[in-house]
Amino acid sequence: MSSAPAPTRPDAHPSIAPPRRIGVNIRGALGLVGTLVKWLALAPLLPLALALGYGESPWPFVAAAAGTAALGIALERIGGDRSEVVGFREGFLVVSLTWVLAAAVGTIPYLLSGNPELERPIDAFFESMSGFTTTGSSILTDVEALNRSMAMWRQFTQWIGGMGIIVLALAVLPRLRIGGRQLMESELPGPEIDDLGTRIRQTAQRLWSLYVALTVMLVVILATLGWTGVDDQLSLYEAVAHAFSTMPTGGFSTQPHSIADFAPATQWVLIAFMILAGVNFALLYRTFVRRRVRSALRDEELRLYAGLLVLGSGLLILQLLERELTGSDAAFRNGIFQAVSILTTTGFATVDFTGWTTLALMTIVALMFVGGSAGSTGGSIKVVRHLLLGRVLRRDLRTTVHPELVAPIRLNRIAVDERTLRAAVAFVLLYVGAFVVGAGIIAFDTALQGPDLRPITVMAVAATTLGNVGPAFGHAGPLASFSEFSDISTGAMIALMWLGRLEIIPVVLLFTRQYWKP
Amino acid sequence: MKVFIIGAGQVGSTVVDALHGEHELTVLDTELSRLSAIAYRYDVATFEGDGTSRRDLAQAGVGTADLVIACTSRNEVNLVAGMFARREAPKAKTIIRTSEIEYVDLWREGQLDVDFVVCPELETAHAISRIIGVPAARQTDVFAEGQVQIVEFDVEEGASAELAGVPLRHAQFPRDSKVMAIIRKNEMTLPGGDDVIEPGSRVVVIGSPRAAKEWSALLVPGDAAVQDVVIFGAGRVGSAIARVLLDQRIGVRMIEASRERALAAAETFSKVRVYNATGLEADFLERERIGLAQAAIFAMRDDARNLYAASLARVHGVPFTIAVAHDAVSLAAFDQAGIDVAVNPRAVTAEEIVRFAHDPRTQQVAMLEGNRYEVLDVTTRDSSRYIGAKFRDMPVHGAMIGAIVRNGSAIFPHGDDVLEIGDRVIVFTEASNAPWVIEAL
Repeated sequence: MSSAPAPTRPDAHPSIAPPRRIGVNIRGALGLVGTLVKWLALAPLLPLALALGYGESPWPFVAAAAGTAALGIALERIGGDRSEVVGFREGFLVVSLTWVLAAAVGTIPYLLSGNPELERPIDAFFESMSGFTTTGSSILTDVEALNRSMAMWRQFTQWIGGMGIIVLALAVLPRLRIGGRQLMESELPGPEIDDLGTRIRQTAQRLWSLYVALTVMLVVILATLGWTGVDDQLSLYEAVAHAFSTMPTGGFSTQPHSIADFAPATQWVLIAFMILAGVNFALLYRTFVRRRVRSALRDEELRLYAGLLVLGSGLLILQLLERELTGSDAAFRNGIFQAVSILTTTGFATVDFTGWTTLALMTIVALMFVGGSAGSTGGSIKVVRHLLLGRVLRRDLRTTVHPELVAPIRLNRIAVDERTLRAAVAFVLLYVGAFVVGAGIIAFDTALQGPDLRPITVMAVAATTLGNVGPAFGHAGPLASFSEFSDISTGAMIALMWLGRLEIIPVVLLFTRQYWKP
Repeated sequence: MKVFIIGAGQVGSTVVDALHGEHELTVLDTELSRLSAIAYRYDVATFEGDGTSRRDLAQAGVGTADLVIACTSRNEVNLVAGMFARREAPKAKTIIRTSEIEYVDLWREGQLDVDFVVCPELETAHAISRIIGVPAARQTDVFAEGQVQIVEFDVEEGASAELAGVPLRHAQFPRDSKVMAIIRKNEMTLPGGDDVIEPGSRVVVIGSPRAAKEWSALLVPGDAAVQDVVIFGAGRVGSAIARVLLDQRIGVRMIEASRERALAAAETFSKVRVYNATGLEADFLERERIGLAQAAIFAMRDDARNLYAASLARVHGVPFTIAVAHDAVSLAAFDQAGIDVAVNPRAVTAEEIVRFAHDPRTQQVAMLEGNRYEVLDVTTRDSSRYIGAKFRDMPVHGAMIGAIVRNGSAIFPHGDDVLEIGDRVIVFTEASNAPWVIEAL
C-alpha cells in the first residue's frame, strides 16, 4: 500500500518555530506546585484552633493560611492548562520547589509572632526549613518565649514534612494530574519505593495511615504516663507536641532542655518510638497490618539497622561508664537515647553531650551518616545504601581477582538492578561531596565571622543539617542554639537541610545544563 | 497395547525404535518427511496432522489408544495435545515431554492432568548427577523417587579390606545397603554369606543414595566425593544440571559465553560462581584454575564446542569430563576423544518414556550389562504366594529382592522381614527370568 504524497503549495513554506532554549515545562511545573502549596493552607488551621482555645493571637495563622492559599492559587493560574503536560522531567522541579515554598510559607507565622529571634526572614526560614525537613536544629535560644500555639505550629511542621508533603497529597488529594510514582520516589527516602498496593495512591494512603496510627498511639502512651503521674511534665499538650516530633524523626521540643527534664520512663518510650520511626514503613505495614513477622525479621536492612543501633549505643555506654559522666543506670539510658536519637536522625537529647570524650563525639558524628532505613521518616544516607555500598565494594574486590565473574548483588535474596546500585553509589558520593562543600563553607565563614568552632564541631554542624539530624556540639549543641552563626552559614545550612531531605539528586539536577536543555 | 505418539522428531523416533516390536504404534506429526522416514524403517501407522487440533487427533484414532506420548519439541503443543488426549481417551495414560522444569514441579503437585511429565533437561541432569555422585560407578539407576539407588561397581586392587577379600557375612557394609550380585568373568552369582568380593570382579549394590556414596569411597579409596564441578554452558541443560548438583550440596562453577544467560544463571543460583567467558581461552582456564576442578560437565548447545572444550579442559588437567551429546552420532566421537562419559538427552528421555510402556504393575526397569540383567520395580499382587513369607525362606530362583517400598519409604530388608500386600519390590534378575519374576510377585 502506498500513500499519495501530501499536496504542497509552492508558496506555503512550513513555518519554523524559533529555537527553544528550555526544554522544561516551567509554567506547568509551577501550576502543579501551586496545587500542592494551596492545600498546605489547611495546615495552620490546627494551631489556629489552639490559639483560639488558649486565647492567644490567631492572626499569624490566619495570615499564613491566607498567604499560602493565595500563593498556591496564583501559581495554579500561572500554570493554567499547561499543567496537563507535566511529565518526568518536571517532576524534579516540582519536588524541589514545593519544599522550598512550603518552608517559605511556613515562616509567615514566625515572622508575625513578634518573637525578636524570629524577626529576620532568614532566621525564620531556617526554623521553618528545619521543621519541614524534620531536622530539628533551632535558631531559638529561648523556646519558652514562644506561646503555646506557635510552639505547636513549630512541632506540627515536622509532622507534615516527616512522611512527605507530596506523599500526603497523593494520598488525600482527589487526583494529581501526574502519575505520581516519580514524584513520590524523589520524596520518599531510599533507593526505591516498596509498593503496598496496586496503585501509588493506595501505597501513599497506607503509609500515611500507619504514620497517623503510630502517632496517635504515642500520644496515648505519653498522655497516660502524664495522667498516671509517672511523669508530671507530660500534659496532653506536651504528649501531642512530642509525638509530632518523634514520629517524623524531627527533634524540636517545647522544653528548654529537650528531653532531659522528662522522667526516665518517658525517655524509654521515646527511644522505642524513635526506633520504630527509623524502620521502613512498608516493612512496618507488612509486619503489623499483614502480620508477616517472620519475613520482616529476616529483612537484611532491619538487621543491619538493629546491629548499628546496638553498636552505637554500646560505644556511647562504654564511654559514659568509663568516664563516669553519669551514674551507671543513667549511663545506659543516656547512651542508648543519644545513639538512637542521632542514628535515626531525630535529634532529641537527654543530656548535653558537648563535653563528652572525643571518641564519643566521633561516634555521634559517624552515626549522623547512618540515618534510618529506606522508606522511614529518617534522613541521612540510609542503612540500605550502606549495605549496598559494602556489597558493591566486596564485589569489586572479587572481580579484581576474577575478571569474568558475573556476580549480581542481592538484597534479601533478590538480585538488585545495576542501575539501582549505580544510583546508590552516586548518591553516597554526592552526599559526601555535599557534606565536604557545606563543611567548607561553614569553616570559612565561621573563621571570618565567628563563632570560633572546634574542627569536630564544624563537621558535626554540616553533618547534622545535611542528615536532618538536629543538634551538633558546642555553640550548636543540643541545649544551645544555631543563633550565633552568620547569615552565610545559616544560608548554607538551610541549603544542606533542603538537599538532605530530597536526597540531593532532584536538587542538584536543577543546577545542571542538561536538565534544562530540550 | 496401542500407543499413540505425537511428534516424530529425535525423541519420537527413539521411542518408536524401542516400542515398535511389542506394541501397536500410531505416529502423528505435521511434517510428512519425518513421518515417511519412520514409516520406511518401522511397521507403524503414521498420520499427518497437528497435535494441537482435536479433530486431527480424533481422526488419527487417539480415542482407542492405551498410552499417549506427546513428545514434540514444543511445550505448548505437548500440553495441548495431552489435554485433548485426556478428553478423547479418558482411560489412556498420557505422557508429555517438556523443557520447563516448572511443568515438572506443577505435575508433582498434581496441577497437570497427565500421568507423567518427562523433561529431557532434567533427565539429563539426573543422569549426570548420578555419575558425579558415585564416581567409581560404571552405571547407576534410581528407584522409588530417589530413595533407592542401584550401582554397578568395578572392584579394583586397593579396595577397602573391610569389604573385599572377606566372606560377606564378616564384611563391614555401609548401612542400608545390600549386595545383589557379584559378576566374575560373565558369570553372575546371587551372593550368600560365604561369598567373597574379590578384586577384578564387579558388584551390583542396592542401597540408599548415601550408602552408594560410601560404597564408592570404600571401593576406590582416595577418590573423595566430588565437591567442585565446573559446568560449561548455562542454558537450559546446564542450569538443570546445576540445580540438581546444588541439591546434593556439590559446589558448582559455571561458564557461559552469553552475558544475559550468565547474568540470569547468577541471579537464579546464589551459591554458584558464574563466569562470562567462552571457556575456550587457555588464559581464562589457567587464571581461574579450572584444571583444579574435580569434574567438568559440558552442556553447551553445540556438540563440536562441547568436544573441543572438553579436550581443552583435559589438557588443563580436569580429571573427569562428562559431555552432553545432542546428536547420537557424537557419542562415538566423544568416546574416541577420551571424554569419560557422554550423555544423550534424547536417549535418556526415550528410555524414561519406554519404562512407562511396560506392565502397569512394573514401574521402572533398569538394564545392566547391556541387556543381560534387569532391575524391576514391581508392586506385589494380593494373590502372590510370597505374601507373609520371611525373606530368609524365599527360594532363590535367579532373582533377588534388594529393597521394598512400604508406605512411601524404602526398607532394605533382612532375613526376618516379611513381605506384605501392596509392597513395591525392587528386584534384580536375569533378563530371561523377568516375566517369571513379575508373574510370581
